[in-house]
Amino acid sequence: MKALWKKYKQNKLAQGIFLLIYIGVTSLSLFLAQKSVTAFLLLLASLLLLYFTSFKNLTKWLIAGVVLVFLLPFTASNGDGYQSYMEVATLVGIYISMALGLNIVVGMAGLLDLGFIAFFAVGAYTYGIFATAQANNFMPFGHFPLSGESFWIFILLGCFVAALFGVLLGIPVLRVKGDYLAIVTLGFGEIIRIIFNNLDRPLNITNGAMGLSSVTPPRLFGMDFIYPSQFYYVVLVILIFTIFTVLRFEHSKIGRSWKAVRENEIAAQAMGVPLVKTKLMAFAIGASFSGMMGVVFAAKQAFVDPTSFTLLESITILVMVILGGMGSVPGVILGAAVMTILNLQVLTEVTNWLNQLSTSGAISIPDALSPSKMQRMIFGLLLILFALYRPQGLLPARNRKYNEKALQKGSKGAAGETIPEQSPIEKAQEV
Amino acid sequence: MSILEVQNLSKKFGGLTANQDVSMTVEKNSITAVIGPNGAGKTTFFNMITGVYQPTSGIILLENEKLNGLKPHVVCQRGISRTFQNIRLFNEMTVLENVMVGMHTHLKAGLFGILFNLPTTRKEELATEIKAYQLLEYVGLDSFLNEKACNLSYGAQRRLEIARAIAASPKILLLDEPAAGMNPKETKELTQLIKKMRDEFNLTVLLIEHDMKLVMEISEQIFVLDHGEKIAEGKPEDIRNNPKVIEAYLGSGAVHAG
Amino acid sequence: MFNEVLHTIPQVLIDGLTLGAVYAVIAIGYTMVYGILELINFAHGEIFMSGAFIGTAILLVLTGIGWVSSLPAIVMLIAVLLITAVLTGFLGMGIERVAYRPLRNAPRLIPLITAIGISFLLQDIVRFIAELKKGNYIVTGPSLFTHQLSIKASSVSSIFNDATIKTSFVIVLVTAVIMMIGLDLFVNRTKWGMAMRAVAQDRETASLMTINVNKVISITFFIGSALGGATGVLFAVQYGTIDPYIGFILGLKAFTAAVLGGIGNIRGAMFGGLLLGLLEMFASANLTLLSHGIFGAEYKDVFAFIILILVLLFKPEGLFGKPVTEKV
Repeated sequence: MKALWKKYKQNKLAQGIFLLIYIGVTSLSLFLAQKSVTAFLLLLASLLLLYFTSFKNLTKWLIAGVVLVFLLPFTASNGDGYQSYMEVATLVGIYISMALGLNIVVGMAGLLDLGFIAFFAVGAYTYGIFATAQANNFMPFGHFPLSGESFWIFILLGCFVAALFGVLLGIPVLRVKGDYLAIVTLGFGEIIRIIFNNLDRPLNITNGAMGLSSVTPPRLFGMDFIYPSQFYYVVLVILIFTIFTVLRFEHSKIGRSWKAVRENEIAAQAMGVPLVKTKLMAFAIGASFSGMMGVVFAAKQAFVDPTSFTLLESITILVMVILGGMGSVPGVILGAAVMTILNLQVLTEVTNWLNQLSTSGAISIPDALSPSKMQRMIFGLLLILFALYRPQGLLPARNRKYNEKALQKGSKGAAGETIPEQSPIEKAQEV
Repeated sequence: MSILEVQNLSKKFGGLTANQDVSMTVEKNSITAVIGPNGAGKTTFFNMITGVYQPTSGIILLENEKLNGLKPHVVCQRGISRTFQNIRLFNEMTVLENVMVGMHTHLKAGLFGILFNLPTTRKEELATEIKAYQLLEYVGLDSFLNEKACNLSYGAQRRLEIARAIAASPKILLLDEPAAGMNPKETKELTQLIKKMRDEFNLTVLLIEHDMKLVMEISEQIFVLDHGEKIAEGKPEDIRNNPKVIEAYLGSGAVHAG
Repeated sequence: MFNEVLHTIPQVLIDGLTLGAVYAVIAIGYTMVYGILELINFAHGEIFMSGAFIGTAILLVLTGIGWVSSLPAIVMLIAVLLITAVLTGFLGMGIERVAYRPLRNAPRLIPLITAIGISFLLQDIVRFIAELKKGNYIVTGPSLFTHQLSIKASSVSSIFNDATIKTSFVIVLVTAVIMMIGLDLFVNRTKWGMAMRAVAQDRETASLMTINVNKVISITFFIGSALGGATGVLFAVQYGTIDPYIGFILGLKAFTAAVLGGIGNIRGAMFGGLLLGLLEMFASANLTLLSHGIFGAEYKDVFAFIILILVLLFKPEGLFGKPVTEKV
């Protein structure tokens, strides 16, 4: 059995055939079934399978692209559940993006941020205010709501505004050390929520607890985006951008300095890494992904109010990062997907099923036990269990392996030229 | 020619005086040692030079430019890098990455370069990897390049710290007890490595060390601190016979008995 | 405007001291644990909340069997306080044993994460039980002390308005003060208190001096949690209505109080708690007035957070702490 497994691990063709069969079967069953959550989830799981194959990275990306762009929407479109599947898929994308952002802050730079949802809120309100009549209350010029075409600019704007907030909050917050940081960010997250909740006077900016309703849907080439199946593609594009960005940063000078700061602040500083700037960059870049997705979220829900941005949401994203593996990009993607699906699909399905059982009189379950109310308990347990028994998460972060042969070759080729380096020290260039 | 000049440097922590009016001049391209009994204020002295602590009074000059008030990362950019008494590596990062972090100040890649993987960024990154690898070869750690730093042996960790410090292409290298915890063979190798580095990288080395054999063999100039004050300076042979130094190390009785 | 602010002072003082006493005792729990483990015990607010629920549950049960009306209220209260303190004390000890002790050598992020996990878990368990038993997670306990006193502050000086005090206020304040004095004596005068201070100074050296470090940490958690739980009961008695989520925001403010007084410093925490309570009551009474209606009383939570952030930024060692620098 073990030998067979080893053989399979080495044989790309076998892997390819297996993956193809798996994707074929699951997509066919999703296509044929009227409403099968299982088939939908199994098809999504094919991406995890893909991750474990030994294909080249480019091949993996291409296959994942085909599955996500064509196969998933197409096969799901045949049943009644189409929009609800796409809704789930869209939210999964939104949460993955945010979790990747938080992963930069917590996983890579080692700064525990418990108010991360604030940046999502900032993004959502940025679009919400200007895409409703709300902005008329305080803007001296212009006519609001803005048209749906502005949505595309607002994605960028949301990105920048959130990054700006990241820096603004970061400047005071980052002077605080270690454990205190967690509590201060938590405080800031709550402050922002309370402010959004009360900023209906003296000047009505956020419309307070009433929230902003009928947010203008995005519009592209005369087509309004109202269905989850349309937002799915918007989210997919931003998500792919996010993943590429994170991977680029991770294996760059910036990524290394984040990790260095996480591992040992004093040594990092002594090696020329500017502490404040490095941390601020982690805050800003992490926040920017949330800001973009906030804009999309506001447009998708067509409604923004402060109740979507509670501490529970911040913790949810933290659970995603811990569950998947701090600092691990594939891990965090998996963690976010699992948590979102658990939250949206599994808990609701189980609740419905229990309710059916109760009404049919088979068993009686008290309302208090309803799984959809048990989020806190489930999140709490997950946090404790993972911290105690698997702190590295489901897919632990792995360091990049450098090719020794290539480096040896490069070292010989450059011998005598690079080392010893006598050149005077160039004046430090910061990013 | 002097490269580092320290004038009347003092540091007080509350009521405790860690350094009192320490002055010294370090010659360019020399190997200079700072010695003294435990608690003499040697590490505090290093911490002030590297910007970890700000001196209570006094001036630090690197090539006649004032270093007072600069943050540690700026001091590193100016050309002083260091190792630590209690090893401070980036434990969860690989050996090669540790050295690459050392080159941080010399990398010019900007946000956009990294985001779009521009050719210049790619080239710089490749050059960084190769130079880091060369430094690992230099300290004999090249075969561990993909290991986590925390998995190295004690002696290897010390050498990695040195490679990381060298990666910043410093003018002055500060070594805080580099031989601590090493066996005699490792210490001997380290002695040779320090000399070799000084010659090949055109460095000035300033080191704190308790291993007198190493200190006497390697250094051209020695400063002795006791109770935060400089009590002696000179060539190894002078220091060896200086009664004040013997007293500081062995107590007052030793001088009279000898 | 100044006069209007002065009018409210007597009531602000009374309410502020009550709230401040609650903060102070909870802050002690944070400060003790931080002093000894350098860990922010996020779950401490939830222990307070559990205490409030346990106390209310006991009172409700006793009311059900008719004891409450037959015994004097003060005897009832003392009994309930003691039972709750012991139960929450063990709860705190258990939490330390399960969630923090195995992680003592883990990276610092990890125990913080379990602490958040425990906090969520407790909130939901309490919600679950309350909802199961009462049908609603917002619970109102029986009121023990309904008598109201009126202080004629206006007779002292006409610029003050009269203030009213519930009897429970006196009881809350007196009990809190007794607890604080008791703790202060314990820490400064007994063998175990000395061991506790030794472990807080240097865990390893303390263990070499034959101090059983694990036991000392357990005791610290027991005492901190017992005080927190008992304060929960006082809170329930004073304010009547409780829900499973009161611990979070209150815990955060108590933490602010601990930081304000200098974390690790027990007397500092007491002072910080009282100060924060007074400041907050003052803000909630006068914020609207002072800002000409721009900021409503809802901003009083923001106000507490801002104090926290300002203290951490400009005087992280607190009002009574000593600054620490990391050894390089």
